[in-house]
Amino acid sequence: MTVVNDAQPAVITARHTDNVVVGDEIIRHRRITRLMHWSVALTFFIALFSGMPIWTPLFAWMAALVGGMEVARIIHPYAGSLFFIASVFQFFHWLGDMRFRSDEKGAWKPSKLMAYMRWEENTTDEGGKFNPGQKVFFFAVCLGAIGLLLSGLIMWFPLYFPRIVRELSILLHDITFIFFLIGIITHIYLGTAAEPGTFRSMTRGTVTRRWARLHHPGWFRDVDKKG
Amino acid sequence: MASQTLEIHRSSASMWGTRTGIRSLPTVAKYVDTTTCIGCKACEAACQEWNDLKRVPTSQDGSYQTMPKLQADFWNLIKFNETEIDGNFNWLMRKDQCMHCAEPGCLAACPAPGAIVQYANGIVDVNPDSCIGCGYCATGCPFDVPKFHAKTGKMAKCTLCVDRAEVGLEPACVKACPTGCLSYGTKDDMVALGILRVKQLKDSGFKDAILYDPQGVGGTSVVTVLKYNRPELYDLPADPHVSMGVKIWKQVVRPLGVIAGFLTMFAVFGHYTKYGPKEPPADEGRAA
Ligand code: HEM
Ligand code: SF4
Ligand code: SF4
Repeated sequence: MTVVNDAQPAVITARHTDNVVVGDEIIRHRRITRLMHWSVALTFFIALFSGMPIWTPLFAWMAALVGGMEVARIIHPYAGSLFFIASVFQFFHWLGDMRFRSDEKGAWKPSKLMAYMRWEENTTDEGGKFNPGQKVFFFAVCLGAIGLLLSGLIMWFPLYFPRIVRELSILLHDITFIFFLIGIITHIYLGTAAEPGTFRSMTRGTVTRRWARLHHPGWFRDVDKKG
Repeated sequence: MASQTLEIHRSSASMWGTRTGIRSLPTVAKYVDTTTCIGCKACEAACQEWNDLKRVPTSQDGSYQTMPKLQADFWNLIKFNETEIDGNFNWLMRKDQCMHCAEPGCLAACPAPGAIVQYANGIVDVNPDSCIGCGYCATGCPFDVPKFHAKTGKMAKCTLCVDRAEVGLEPACVKACPTGCLSYGTKDDMVALGILRVKQLKDSGFKDAILYDPQGVGGTSVVTVLKYNRPELYDLPADPHVSMGVKIWKQVVRPLGVIAGFLTMFAVFGHYTKYGPKEPPADEGRAA
């Protein structure tokens, strides 16, 4: 019996190593990175689908996805807590790659962001493995996860806290969640339809040379030099 | 303890209730005269009995009060507030229970469709089968009434004996009260009774007697005669209203969040139709 994937050296290498060229592909996210990111994504979506029906009856239908309103109330804080734990692992895993570089000063400015979204960013601005937008999003998510956890814990055990604290927690939880909602829609759009070739970096783990050169020229140069 | 026959005026996490507007039911109310309450606790016993609540141990806290606070199994508590006014000792009894607000904060805060309802006659009630036990109602209530049943994880509180009200009977506590300090009828009649009693009290020297029917929550279906116009002495909020936090949460943050979510979806589709996917130029090889 032939094992099909034995014929795919890139996939095998992607199990343990990233930032290397294998044949026509470049390994962008090795297996552990992908596992971490999917843990964050899965727990996030369980928290999302169990939190949103509690937020407004407009999304009451989402409760059916997790087994009804009562189930939503029970599993939401657990899914949220797991999301937080997964985010902590991901934070330390990615922290090194997410450091802002000196050539990225001011790259987070709205004007730069708009230029990026018009697909007009400056290609001589070479950057690292992640672009400044991704780094800002990364730190925002980490901060948001802390906000959701702290407010969520108070909402989990409301009877132990004074009323004003509970009210402020609900407001904090809601406002943070709304930023997450905007963020996740944008994040998924950029990772799929808007930038083809990106999604496979989180499934197969690899990207093409053309993709790397377009989206992360600095990273491409470094990895390509290594060979 | 959902009523089967009463029409629902308002229902939590829903646009509206089931009221058709065909039948017209007057708002009902309970009248409590704290000045003639003798602290006999007959109402407490009647409430436990009629509602088949399990016996709750009393606690000795240096007062005649049965226990410090309402509980999930104890919906009607006479508060024995001890105060000194003008050098005289005063025992200010007060009947602590759900006030059945016209604008209930519990209902406004509740996220589960139909878990809290307000019937056409003004009674605010919990449907345990829809309650998810989140505790939002306790945050929304200005009177700290809803309590959670540890075993079921559901909210419980006074129903104003809705099962009796719907067949035209007075609440169990009113039936049991020996001094006549409790009464039950239409809200209009109970307010009239209260005004009469307040006038009587004023005539006999209690110049600042009032009828506690707080307008901050649209009035309540429990109206209470107080000898002194100082609700806090009776362990009542002076000006109860649905808190600012709950209003901002439900009426500002939530709609803004929904709009923001949909706008982001539109923005994403708009972006895709205008700019399309970001593809690498075709003529790219190894020479980079
Ligand atoms: C980090 C750990 C988290 C904890 C401990 C937590 C806990 C809670 C609790 C206890 C509630 C009240 C309703 C219920 O009991 O189920 C709640 C509501 C909610 N949560 Fe979370 N949560 C967390 C993370 C999240 C995440 C990641 C999201 C979004 C993706 C989220 C979105 C929501 C929403 C939308 C609501 C409804 C708020 C409202 O009713 O206005 N939560 N959360
Ligand atoms: S505990 Fe029950 S009644 Fe109270 S707000 Fe939550 S779902 Fe509604
Ligand atoms: S007193 Fe509290 S529980 Fe009763 S109707 Fe008013 S807000 Fe709801």
